[in-house]
Amino acid sequence: MIRVYRALLIAQLQLAAQYRLAMFLYLLFSIMRPLIFLAAWSAVALARGGSVNGFTPADFAAYYVILTIVQHFVSAWNQYDFELQVRMGQISPRLVRPLDPIHYAVAENIVWKSFTFVGVLPVLAIIVVTYGVQFRIEPWQIVLFVPSLLLAAALQFFISWAIASTAFWTTRTHAVSTLFDRTAFIFAGQIAPLSLLPGVLQQVAYVLPFGYIYGVPTDILRGGHDLVTSLALMGLQAAWVAAAFAASRIVWRFGIRAYTAVGA
Amino acid sequence: MTRCSLNFPSSGRGFAPNDALALTCGRGHHAVVAQSIVEVRELRKTFKVHEREAGLGATVRGVFKRRFKDVNAVAGITFRIDPGEVVGFLGPNGAGKTTTLKMLSGLLNPTAGEARVLGYVPWRRENAYLRRMTLLIGNRSQLQWDIPAADSLLVLKEIYGLTDDRYRRTLGELTELLALGELLHKPVRNLSLGERMKVEFAAGLIQSPEVAFLDEPTIGLDVSMQSRIRQFVSEYNRRSGATILLTSHYMDDVVALCKRVLVIHHGKLLYDGALSGLADRLAPYKRLVATLRGGNADGIDFSSFGEVASREEGKVTLHVPREGAAERTAALVRALGDRIEDLSVEDPPIEDVIDRVFTSGAEVMA
Repeated sequence: MIRVYRALLIAQLQLAAQYRLAMFLYLLFSIMRPLIFLAAWSAVALARGGSVNGFTPADFAAYYVILTIVQHFVSAWNQYDFELQVRMGQISPRLVRPLDPIHYAVAENIVWKSFTFVGVLPVLAIIVVTYGVQFRIEPWQIVLFVPSLLLAAALQFFISWAIASTAFWTTRTHAVSTLFDRTAFIFAGQIAPLSLLPGVLQQVAYVLPFGYIYGVPTDILRGGHDLVTSLALMGLQAAWVAAAFAASRIVWRFGIRAYTAVGA
Repeated sequence: MTRCSLNFPSSGRGFAPNDALALTCGRGHHAVVAQSIVEVRELRKTFKVHEREAGLGATVRGVFKRRFKDVNAVAGITFRIDPGEVVGFLGPNGAGKTTTLKMLSGLLNPTAGEARVLGYVPWRRENAYLRRMTLLIGNRSQLQWDIPAADSLLVLKEIYGLTDDRYRRTLGELTELLALGELLHKPVRNLSLGERMKVEFAAGLIQSPEVAFLDEPTIGLDVSMQSRIRQFVSEYNRRSGATILLTSHYMDDVVALCKRVLVIHHGKLLYDGALSGLADRLAPYKRLVATLRGGNADGIDFSSFGEVASREEGKVTLHVPREGAAERTAALVRALGDRIEDLSVEDPPIEDVIDRVFTSGAEVMA
């Protein structure tokens, strides 16, 4: 399997190298949104005499810088590609090979996220300088942040794979994917740090998987939680990953039987 | 339904022992015992199709209430294929050929019936099975468009766990057979349709499959490329001993490659047997072509000898019943004597036979 992954990663790298412009635009788009929210929250903080619930503009900047990093490594796009592949029957050639197509998607995620991160860094550096961000990060936060980030990426990936696999029945998963993304937008910490959400919404974020996608790793690195809370949240993250993995396998297994292999 | 199954001796394949393509033949239980590679019994596939009329009203109604119709794409077919056979699957568009191929390659679950390929139930999609078969679809690309095929092939090498040596030899042999030259090193999107098809073949056969399902492998190709692909398939079968089931719209493909054909129509198998026997079974007439001296056929009533199929410039084509074709020919010679310059009695072209089956509702075989 290591050799398979090495080959898949090399092929993906070659593909990534072909699409430099597309990647740049994609990057621009993914960085744009946190920047807009950062600007908005800073304005609110200044209007309220310097802070919102203890968040100063510099705190917001720190939050959105970390969120942008998290979002970069965590967000997944498989469901959008996959729907098209199923609808047009393009997935067929991969289904007759003795390798689960999920591995192509994993390799794609690893390569594209690492490759494009280089482009994110300068933008983040500019924000840090402009807002005079000062990170107060303890070593244990970094130690926990890395696995928490990986868990979040796995969680988002398996959820998107489960949604993608419904394409075998509906061949139109776009609506479901969009609904998920829009909901995540509120509950995953993109629109505001989770601790700023009104009580009920905050509870919803942690009862549903959304809070564990972007919010938990961001808050761990930012220093939003103490050690015990961080570990507890990571435990819940792991549980959600297990559930999402199981769901994605089940949906895939049943979905593949419903595949109609249109056109090919 | 009449079945004439052909048995090809598995020993008659004749490939050199050091032949890279023939590597597969030493493995697998079927190589020892010449049992069927493909066994299909009463296989069925019914699709539920959303039925909707055109127009705004129908569209709006469709939002609230959907009507579904069952379409029997494959309506219970039974056949078997022996090791090393090249079998042609014939039928008009929508006959059920591709659906059958998809079930045999594990892409589709059947509604009912059984199938075994190399001893496996295809739709269980076990890796052990997928390693030993291939499915090539003529109008569908399996390669990454933006990188050279050589790079996609390296991924396949690892997926199938091929050793460097085995990979090099198989690829070398495919490169020679397909005259790939530098094609593997150009991005796939820069290849012509014919070139791409050759490269697709290399990608489809790199694992040296024991059974290959080819769906319209020559579709859209020009005549010379069609012929080259055909030669390749024939040579590949000879060298590797792989069992091949292919569908094609081009009769030339089938005539050149397949001794045996399966004719399918409306999801039912109409004929299973030798290609040469197809005309006997399905076209109960022969073509009698007479060219008259001086090009003058006026004043002769040919209809008493047979059905006049065409008549032009002293050349007359008659359809005469298969039984009694000899007597009719003799009678024609007696009646016209030395006015006949040339005379031939032949089977109708295979395209006509097939066309006749498909247009006449095809109850010919019942």
